[in-house]
Amino acid sequence: MRSDDIRFVVLSATLLFAAVIGFIIYFIILYRNRQLKNKQEQDEREAAYRQELLQTQIEIQEQTLEHISKEIHDNITQVLSFVKLSMATIGNTLDNDKKAKINESRELIAQTITDLRDLSKSLSFEYIAQIGLVKTIEQEAERINKSRLLKISLLTEGQIYSLGEQRELVLFRIYQEAINNALKYAGAKHFKISLQYQADLFNLTLEDDGAGFSPDLLNNKSGSGLRNMENRAALIGGKATIDSAPGDGCRINVSLNPFKQLYTDGGPHPNSFS
Amino acid sequence: MSINETIYFIIILGVSTIGMVRYKLLTIPFKILAFSVLFTLFWEVLAEFSAVLYKTNALISHFQGVSGYIFHAIIFYYLFRDTTLKKIVLFSIFFVVIFAVINGVFIQKAFNDFPTYVYLITNGLSVIFCLFFFKQMLQYALNVNIVRQSVFWYNTGILLFSATMFLNMGLTNYYAKHQWGRDIIFYLWFCNDCLLNVLIGVALLTDNKENNIHHA
Repeated sequence: MRSDDIRFVVLSATLLFAAVIGFIIYFIILYRNRQLKNKQEQDEREAAYRQELLQTQIEIQEQTLEHISKEIHDNITQVLSFVKLSMATIGNTLDNDKKAKINESRELIAQTITDLRDLSKSLSFEYIAQIGLVKTIEQEAERINKSRLLKISLLTEGQIYSLGEQRELVLFRIYQEAINNALKYAGAKHFKISLQYQADLFNLTLEDDGAGFSPDLLNNKSGSGLRNMENRAALIGGKATIDSAPGDGCRINVSLNPFKQLYTDGGPHPNSFS
Repeated sequence: MSINETIYFIIILGVSTIGMVRYKLLTIPFKILAFSVLFTLFWEVLAEFSAVLYKTNALISHFQGVSGYIFHAIIFYYLFRDTTLKKIVLFSIFFVVIFAVINGVFIQKAFNDFPTYVYLITNGLSVIFCLFFFKQMLQYALNVNIVRQSVFWYNTGILLFSATMFLNMGLTNYYAKHQWGRDIIFYLWFCNDCLLNVLIGVALLTDNKENNIHHA
């Protein structure tokens, strides 16, 4: 056999083999790209699902709170008002000692009615939407300061503007969660609230001087309230950062761009819970 | 037995052993593959005996070509998702068997000639099925590293083998016609066979029904 023929055979075999190997390599690259694309689509679907789930949970929660708020306002405070009126009627027929006791009870009931009305307002989405975030926080802070459980200071900077009903409601709920934690778990004495309104950025800072906690708590089951804050902030296009250390209090910062659209898929503007 | 044949037998024996040892862990198409390797070993041993006793193993090649194709076609039948392709695979088995019988009786007589026409058809069909299966893998890309997918190794092996066998077949006929020495062709054939069986071995090692990472 001539050497030319051997060369021809070897060259042909090599070329064919190289072509097939080239095809295999091309296929591997294509496959990898397809995997990455599928993973990205899957992540997007999961994120959309989680957001929808959270949105639904918040809607259900707000509906429940709205219902409780209405019940408190329509039923409980009405009943207590009636009791107060009845006691006023009884008081006129009694001697002075008993009259004094009746009056004392009437004052306590009046105070209870006021407290329940305030509670009803803080639960009601419509009321918060009506008076705005700053006023709502002011009223809540005043209520808590009166109770002397905590000393709250409120600071606002910049020109106040509306962030939209949904955002303000979520921010208020984050504030409520933070206050709740400061009272129940942290044993805090002071609580600072700072609202900074800038042209393209809004910052809400909540700081207490309580016991603080380890950052690992955020990853535990018992840190679900804190994670909830992060999730709620993300839902309205914001970012919540929580800093704390044992003995160092807790600082929660929520920042968001007021002009960032919440839904990029062309969904309805999320300014109200329907 | 030459060194090449010894190496080839060792490889087939090794792959058969892997197939039988891991048999319970394999999915159905790869259980069939494990059996096909055993059959290949059986035919190769028979071919050696035939070559020694009758100075030719042409008859064995006729049976080996058809049985090998039937096994691989059934494997593709299990791997394909598309029902049309499955039907085509089944029909092709029927067609190849009929053609192999006609070829062995009338065209390339079973006792004298090697069934190169049958090999051409079966290798051509194998290349087509491989390409369709690569397309299926892209359509239904799994979230698993491709090197851990047994179907990738199997398909790559069949494609490499079948594609280069065309060249081997063409060159074998050409060289036989001109009565030239065919050592280099047989060497290519040997390398091809070894590579195919190594890749089948890797496929049998990576397949695991518990992971359930099949495309079918």
